[in-house]
Amino acid sequence: MPNRAKLALAIRFSLPLAILLAASTPAGAQSSVYRGPRTADGKPNLNGIWQAMNTANWDIQGHTAAAGHILSLGAQGGEPAGMGVVEGEEIPYLPAALAQRKANFEKRFTDDPEIKCFMPGIPRATYMPFPFQIVQSPKIIVMAYEFANAGRQIYMENPPESPAESWMGHAAGHWDGDTLVIDNTSFNDQSWFDRSGNYHSDALHVIERYTPISADAIRYEATIEDKNVFSRPWKMSMPLYRHLEKNAQLMEFRCEEFVEELIYGKYRHQPSTK
Amino acid sequence: MTIRPFIRNLAMLVAGSAAAQTPATIEKPAKPAAAKPARTWTVPRTADGQPDFQGVWNNGTITRLERPADLAGKEFFTPKEALEYEKTVVERTNRDQRTPGTEGDVSRAYNDAWWDSGTKVIRTLRTSMVIDPPDGRLPPLTPQAQALLRSQAAGRHPQPWGPEDRSLQERCLMFPTDSVPMLPYVYNNNFRIVQTKDTLAIYIEMIHDVRTVYLDGRPHLPSTIRRWLGDSRGHWEGDTLVVDNTNFNGKNRFSFNSPVDQNLHVVERFTRSDRDTLVYRFTVEDPTVYTKPWTAETTLSAAPGPIYEYACHEGNYGMMNLLSGARAEEKAAQTAK
Repeated sequence: MPNRAKLALAIRFSLPLAILLAASTPAGAQSSVYRGPRTADGKPNLNGIWQAMNTANWDIQGHTAAAGHILSLGAQGGEPAGMGVVEGEEIPYLPAALAQRKANFEKRFTDDPEIKCFMPGIPRATYMPFPFQIVQSPKIIVMAYEFANAGRQIYMENPPESPAESWMGHAAGHWDGDTLVIDNTSFNDQSWFDRSGNYHSDALHVIERYTPISADAIRYEATIEDKNVFSRPWKMSMPLYRHLEKNAQLMEFRCEEFVEELIYGKYRHQPSTK
Repeated sequence: MTIRPFIRNLAMLVAGSAAAQTPATIEKPAKPAAAKPARTWTVPRTADGQPDFQGVWNNGTITRLERPADLAGKEFFTPKEALEYEKTVVERTNRDQRTPGTEGDVSRAYNDAWWDSGTKVIRTLRTSMVIDPPDGRLPPLTPQAQALLRSQAAGRHPQPWGPEDRSLQERCLMFPTDSVPMLPYVYNNNFRIVQTKDTLAIYIEMIHDVRTVYLDGRPHLPSTIRRWLGDSRGHWEGDTLVVDNTNFNGKNRFSFNSPVDQNLHVVERFTRSDRDTLVYRFTVEDPTVYTKPWTAETTLSAAPGPIYEYACHEGNYGMMNLLSGARAEEKAAQTAK
């Protein structure tokens, strides 16, 4: 019986994912007409510095512009409007999870982990308003993110077992034609998807697809599955753009230092005058 | 903050198999590259034709940056002396260091079950990392640097007023392993190197960081842009990778007792001398800190990995406890008056 229950569970959660992934193939097939530069081992060359150009970090769903939270920042602190990156627009929250997401929204200006310079997790690291760098070798692909020095190693062969849950997850990659597919597991339940309180549990499973659509653009897709939070898998997608500046390089945003006053200020001997 | 040893010990208790992942248990006896060159071995190459340094490396060692006084005048160990030295040092650090009493248990809670400093001397069998000056000791600091060191020490409150009074390590900002030059620490001495034609990435386990060395001949960043890790530009000289580092922000504090300022210039040289050894030599030049440049050399050993995620800042309850504890003590002292 337990085995049968397990199987039923597996089917319940993997079947919709399979359907969703299958449904995404036509888009992938369409773009695979593009055949870009190769690395020495014949794979699409994704090396470079990339960045999303959208407002998904504010809210992955479509949203109207809004005034900022800090009066003195005026227009600078305002939230820009955005089309959203969720396919079909709706995020299929389970009822209890939807209540949590609403509670997160109410506390977004204090509880978003970005505020404390915590590692952004996947997929959020991809669409933070900071660039990231791909360093691609046949066995390991490193993705280095400017925000909070976050990084991850994508094992392209023989991924070891995940040693523990983590902020950036455990990444096993493979090539599906010209698409880099990354299966991400072993997340903790601490990161959010955006500043508006969209969230996940430690059952999060993310399948990412990076498909080159020109020399300087990648179609990015992330299928999200989390049985504790969502009733079915769902997907976000967006283009990523190459930084074409000749001197483009990842800069340093070691924000741990910037948030010390916020986190530890209340324990100071005397209040900071800064 | 010691996530890796914690996981390691937990895993050893639970599974008993994870011990194979700890560098300390897989390190082979020191085989000095200089003394026993592997004649049949040639450096592997990447598909782009560069010497292949890719893999996981560990720079843990019991060899000190500066030559200890009792080894004065001695530049190299013999292989036999190295084994004896390793045995002595490991025995000394290996003993159960618990001091009786609650205070001792807390303040000296770290013994060798938590450390992962390495158990071997560096593979070249040098008795110090510093090779120039030839006495294995750092050159004297300039008067300016000595004054800076004194003023930094004087400005620090023993009972911390804020995070700035504690070390950069405790603030999850920098570690000797997450710095340029890269020096060993007491744990998390693991690095992964990934190469492309134009970049070499050093994926640093300690507090999670990625250092990118650009190999495409681009100039350094303008001097207005400063970084904790500096700005790395590399080129190949034969089979040696030479990395020039500038643009430091001057806010780092080295584990050796030297201040750091913005004039720091570090030239690193990486050479793979055999399958399991990466020789790491670096020259430190800073005319406002050192009376002359100095050079050190150490070795990194091949390690099985994997590299773990070290979420230092995210789990930094230590800093909160240090500061709130200091405030509680102040309050108690006030009340007692």
